[in-house]
Amino acid sequence: MNKTRNSLLTIAAIVVFFIFLWYASTHFNKYSIRIMNDVAIFMMLAVSYNLINGVTGQFSLEPNGFTAIGAYVSSLLTLTVAQKHAMFIIVPMIHPFDTWHLPFLAALIVGGLVTSVIAFVLAFPVFRVRGDYLAIVTLGFGIVIRVFSTNAISLTNGALGLKGISESTNLWWSWGWAVFSIIIIMRLVNSGYGRAMKAIRDDEDAAIAMGINSLKIKMIAFITSAFFEGVAGGLLAHLITTISPTLFTFFLTFNLLIIIVVGGLGSMTGSIIATVMVVWGSELLRVVDQPMHIFSITIPGVPGMRMILFSVLLIATMIFAREGIMGQREFSWNSFFNMFRARKQR
Amino acid sequence: MSILKCDDLIMQFGGLAAVNHFSLSIEAGTIKGLIGPNGAGKTTVFNMITGNYKPTSGNITFFNESITGLKPYKIVARGMARTFQNIRLFSNLSVLDNVLVGFHHKIKYKLYDAVMRLPRFKSEERIMHETCLQLLDRVGLKDRAYLKADELPYGDQRKTEIARALATGPKLLLLDEPAAGMNPQETTDLMYFISEIRDKFDVTILLIEHDMRFVMGLCEDVTVLDHGEKIAEGKPADVQKNQKVIVAYLGEPDA
Amino acid sequence: MNFTEVIQQLVNGISLGSLYGLVAIGYTMIYGVLRLINFAHGDVMMVGTYIALFAVTTFLLPWWAAFILAMVLTAFLGIAIDTIAYKPLRKASRISSLITAIGVSFLLENLFLVLFGGVPKAFPIPKIFAGNFNVGGVILPVVNIFAPILALVFLFILLQLLHHTKYGMAMRSLSLDIETTRLMGVNVDAVISLVFAIGSALAAAGGIMWALKYPSLNPLMGILPGLKAFAAAVLGGIGDVAGAAIGGFIIGISEILVVALFPELAGYKDALAFLILILVLLFKPTGIMGKNLGGRF
Repeated sequence: MNKTRNSLLTIAAIVVFFIFLWYASTHFNKYSIRIMNDVAIFMMLAVSYNLINGVTGQFSLEPNGFTAIGAYVSSLLTLTVAQKHAMFIIVPMIHPFDTWHLPFLAALIVGGLVTSVIAFVLAFPVFRVRGDYLAIVTLGFGIVIRVFSTNAISLTNGALGLKGISESTNLWWSWGWAVFSIIIIMRLVNSGYGRAMKAIRDDEDAAIAMGINSLKIKMIAFITSAFFEGVAGGLLAHLITTISPTLFTFFLTFNLLIIIVVGGLGSMTGSIIATVMVVWGSELLRVVDQPMHIFSITIPGVPGMRMILFSVLLIATMIFAREGIMGQREFSWNSFFNMFRARKQR
Repeated sequence: MSILKCDDLIMQFGGLAAVNHFSLSIEAGTIKGLIGPNGAGKTTVFNMITGNYKPTSGNITFFNESITGLKPYKIVARGMARTFQNIRLFSNLSVLDNVLVGFHHKIKYKLYDAVMRLPRFKSEERIMHETCLQLLDRVGLKDRAYLKADELPYGDQRKTEIARALATGPKLLLLDEPAAGMNPQETTDLMYFISEIRDKFDVTILLIEHDMRFVMGLCEDVTVLDHGEKIAEGKPADVQKNQKVIVAYLGEPDA
Repeated sequence: MNFTEVIQQLVNGISLGSLYGLVAIGYTMIYGVLRLINFAHGDVMMVGTYIALFAVTTFLLPWWAAFILAMVLTAFLGIAIDTIAYKPLRKASRISSLITAIGVSFLLENLFLVLFGGVPKAFPIPKIFAGNFNVGGVILPVVNIFAPILALVFLFILLQLLHHTKYGMAMRSLSLDIETTRLMGVNVDAVISLVFAIGSALAAAGGIMWALKYPSLNPLMGILPGLKAFAAAVLGGIGDVAGAAIGGFIIGISEILVVALFPELAGYKDALAFLILILVLLFKPTGIMGKNLGGRF
């Protein structure tokens, strides 16, 4: 009985949320809508990133590299043939890529799939040996992808980047994908596969001794993360409409790391809450980069101060509040109602 | 019938032989003890049998099929499970989830069944949960099922670890120092627990143990290892009188 | 390429490799004892070069005093990072300290960006390193001769320390098993601090030589050499000090040779170390020295 009630409540909550989106898309100003799109894309990235780091316990630094792939692949596919011929002025684009053109959704999915394939190629040698190296390999990959997108001019247009990408991402696309990815990943986590991932996180040797093929399970987690990160990259590119090799810096990955750590490693609910806090918070924190006026005293703004605060926040959370907001707990309707019941009794 | 045979196993680490010319055979349904002083190579033998180490040379057969060099998770699927010297539970998971992990290799539903919540996923998960709770009931942990593993008292953690190993459906269970860190009362309880398990779950047991009272009271058959070599084998009472064994444990009479 | 060019490029590669090697030693030692990839290591190298820069330009110290001062202060920085950021997490899961290491790396980079700006600063090259040697018609920059010699001297001293002193024994035993080492009465924390001190001082030395070779400093200069040095450490077999140095030489030489032989690939040279890392993991994960870290049961 509770189960039916809970699924109905979940569906109702999603419906209410999309009604809100409909209201927002017609009434909110451009700036608010932009922030809402950002939140959706970051949420999708954070939940995917948490799957490999928090749930499976394999420290990885892939998001900036993987969103870059998704962004480039999907943009190159949605750009029209004429646009591509006009844009590639240094070196023409290699045949047959210059003649390919796909609708937005198909391009996003291809972007996600290409990212998954690359994830497989990167992770296979790493997971076969020792998971520790995943972080350094993915960190290195973030740099390699920049080297590649700058130098492979006939494919990426080099440092000039891609311009005039159609502004296809709107609230429906971004939040549709965000909700979809959260549902898929939550279902994965709440299955035998998710249990195996958590077992590997807690004690990989013991998990293997219990019959788990840890290479396969880690691959599933990493490739799933990669797919959604690739799609998120595509959504991002079709939101900002101009991409270049310097756009996908490590700062993106760092932001996501803060989100999943502050939310609680392994808790999807935590990542969702923390995404809203961090994206919003970093908008608010822009003040520390600018001059401040308190009474008659002017404190000169220090550009880059935000990054320092973020780094300190990350280190401090790790040392003093390792559980983050949610620990490894998840939101559930049962605990939601229990909370009220407990309050009434008091 | 012998279910596990080790033939002339040698395990070398950087030229040093941790285990040398070791052979062993276990009869179905027995509880066999593997004893010896610290550093004799007992855990190394376990690690070779379970596939954590690939022996430098020698052969291991399980149900008349060679399992030498197979990956540990594949050996589990053939019906072998183990516990660890220092309990290694999945500390952030509940007791129930720990045991469910033991069922993992039997899961038949595919990734898409799980992601789309197809009937196959639902029914299999339901059956798995029920079986798990039954298993926990049989080992007396049912009321602990939803506690986090690291919240359990020590003795129950040990039981959970054994239950998790049983969930894999083993024919042969390897226990690495199950009584380590237990007081005499807990040790006695564990002795009853293990012999009950052998009967209830119809498993063969190979165990490493230091507590002689435990080994003598529980095992039907004992193999003694010293400096990586087998020095004695037989009934506990006979082995206890063996001169070599006494020397290995207590040193030369003159020394 | 004629013979002269080959020699020049080879020496150039060896000197570049010796820098990677010096940085790689720190990675490999810290990984050896703590199983921690110290992401901040490249940034520690960067800090070392800035200290040397200010010692020379602001405090007008002679170059040798500046270099020694930089190594000593960077050693203390390494100890401080470990004590403040890593030590509280020794008992926590491995991922906690890795995340903290990333935090420290990002903090150092951005702190220096705020303090000194992103505009590259010129590093004054002392006269004795500025010239060229002429060896039978082959022109070799002094730095390129000096760097590998210094690296080998440091390596020799370190190996003596590791194999013939009490502290070295403690370090090696630490890399096998921390708890047992602690039980044997070794002051484990002190030895770990010493490892961080040595690793960081060598990173500073590597950084200074980097600055002599490419005399332009910026707060992000540690990222790429750091990554390449890590690849070198894995190539040499992680945990193996001599292996790290050899791995550094291999990566340095191949980087220079690839650019010399295929100038059209010059833009991709920073990806080479990464490719080597992937290939090593794929085919010889224990490194070319074949060191086996053994089981953990």
